Amino acid sequence: MSFRSLLGITLFIACAVAATVILLSILYLRGQISALLPYDLALEVDASLMNLFMMQAIALFVLALGLSVAIFFVVGSFVSKPLRELTRAMDGYATSGARTTIDGIDEAPKEIRSLAVSFDGLIDRVEESHKHDTDISRVKSDFISTAAHQFRTPLTGIRWALEALQKENLTESQKALVESAVGKSKDLVAIVGTLLDISAIESGKYKYTFAPTDMNALVTEIVASFEPLAQKTQISLFYTHEASEALPAAKADRERIKWVLNNLIENAILYTPAGGTVRVSSEAGGGRVYVRVKDTGIGIPGEDRANIFERFYRAQNAITVKNQGNGLGLYIARTIATDHGGDLNFAANTEGPGTTFTLSLPLA
Amino acid sequence: MPETRFILVVEDDPILKNLLGHTFAGKYQTLYASDGNEALALFEANKPALVLLDLMLPTMDGFAVLETIKKRTDALKDVPVIVVSNLGQDKDKERALALGATEYLVKAEVSVEEIVGRIEKVLGTITPNV
Repeated sequence: MSFRSLLGITLFIACAVAATVILLSILYLRGQISALLPYDLALEVDASLMNLFMMQAIALFVLALGLSVAIFFVVGSFVSKPLRELTRAMDGYATSGARTTIDGIDEAPKEIRSLAVSFDGLIDRVEESHKHDTDISRVKSDFISTAAHQFRTPLTGIRWALEALQKENLTESQKALVESAVGKSKDLVAIVGTLLDISAIESGKYKYTFAPTDMNALVTEIVASFEPLAQKTQISLFYTHEASEALPAAKADRERIKWVLNNLIENAILYTPAGGTVRVSSEAGGGRVYVRVKDTGIGIPGEDRANIFERFYRAQNAITVKNQGNGLGLYIARTIATDHGGDLNFAANTEGPGTTFTLSLPLA
Repeated sequence: MPETRFILVVEDDPILKNLLGHTFAGKYQTLYASDGNEALALFEANKPALVLLDLMLPTMDGFAVLETIKKRTDALKDVPVIVVSNLGQDKDKERALALGATEYLVKAEVSVEEIVGRIEKVLGTITPNV
């Protein structure tokens, strides 16, 4: 029930009570009169009294109705309307983050004006804090990108020098050594490239190269590359899938999706105690291709679940584990998934310990 | 004329310059510039067949060098420019290509042989059977 209806009805009830009291006093007075006055005089007085009081009661009733309606409109325009406008402004900010002016707030009662001022202060504070976060994030992105560029020049020198050295007359063992150094310098170049890509993805500047991708082949390749790590940490790693023909091509930037799956599978292995299982599976349905990574690991504590896709967030039980993550992985992974028009979600396993992450991608 | 054709290499890091020279020696006649102003002066005076251009340079950056070359009104504006830089973001690539660069290579991600391959390809397309 709205505020103004409540006020109007309250007033109406008050007047109705007053009218009832008047009627009751008439009845009481009639009793007194007939007891005190001679019969014929009493009849006359009674009739005029009755008349007078009935008129009063009716007048009061009409007045009550009029006042209620008037209050309904007056309160409506002075209290309810500014309150509704304020609510609209608050809802607008909550859903879209857009600040709007509140119509007629200057004519509103003082209490509502100060509510509006408080709301304004609250928004200022929210925006200040958001700006602070954005600034920090930008500084961090700039730092990553500058540092990565700085790495590239010496890396180029190392790589080119080693490649030049490869062409010299080397013994077999020297060749093998230079070969390793060349391989590792290329790895380093790739890492720097990934860092730059991540910083571009994070700031929304990355340009994806989408192509129809056979997810079965991609996942098979990635899972195979984790076999040594799985063996070392005594985790059983499986990939279960439908036949390739049954899995339609997904729309994917191959390198970026590979990065996402690498992260998911690596996390699953590292957060699963020895003897556990990591099961990767793929399936299609509802115009999407799904890749699931299910582990029997330590799980994600309930209070952390809402936050694990936030930047730099690391679940409480993740910090002590051997994995020295920076808390960016899942945030970037989800950003990549949503940039594809897909999504990345997770759920605690229902039938046992551990977590299942699900990457969904649109069909090509 | 073919004997006088050479390439202008604009690279401010002396070690990278030497490493390029190590492979280019015997393949090309090369001239080196280590900043933007020097690059433009050498370009004007020697009319190279191709320019290998770094982007982060002292005095004048590679974008400005590229823009100056491509704004010329004479035939020299058509000299192919291969950008070889460690700036590798999409916006840098797009900017250089929009200014008229023929190719864009990220320095750390290519070997000197790959650079030679690009030079051959670009020279091949503009000077058949020299």
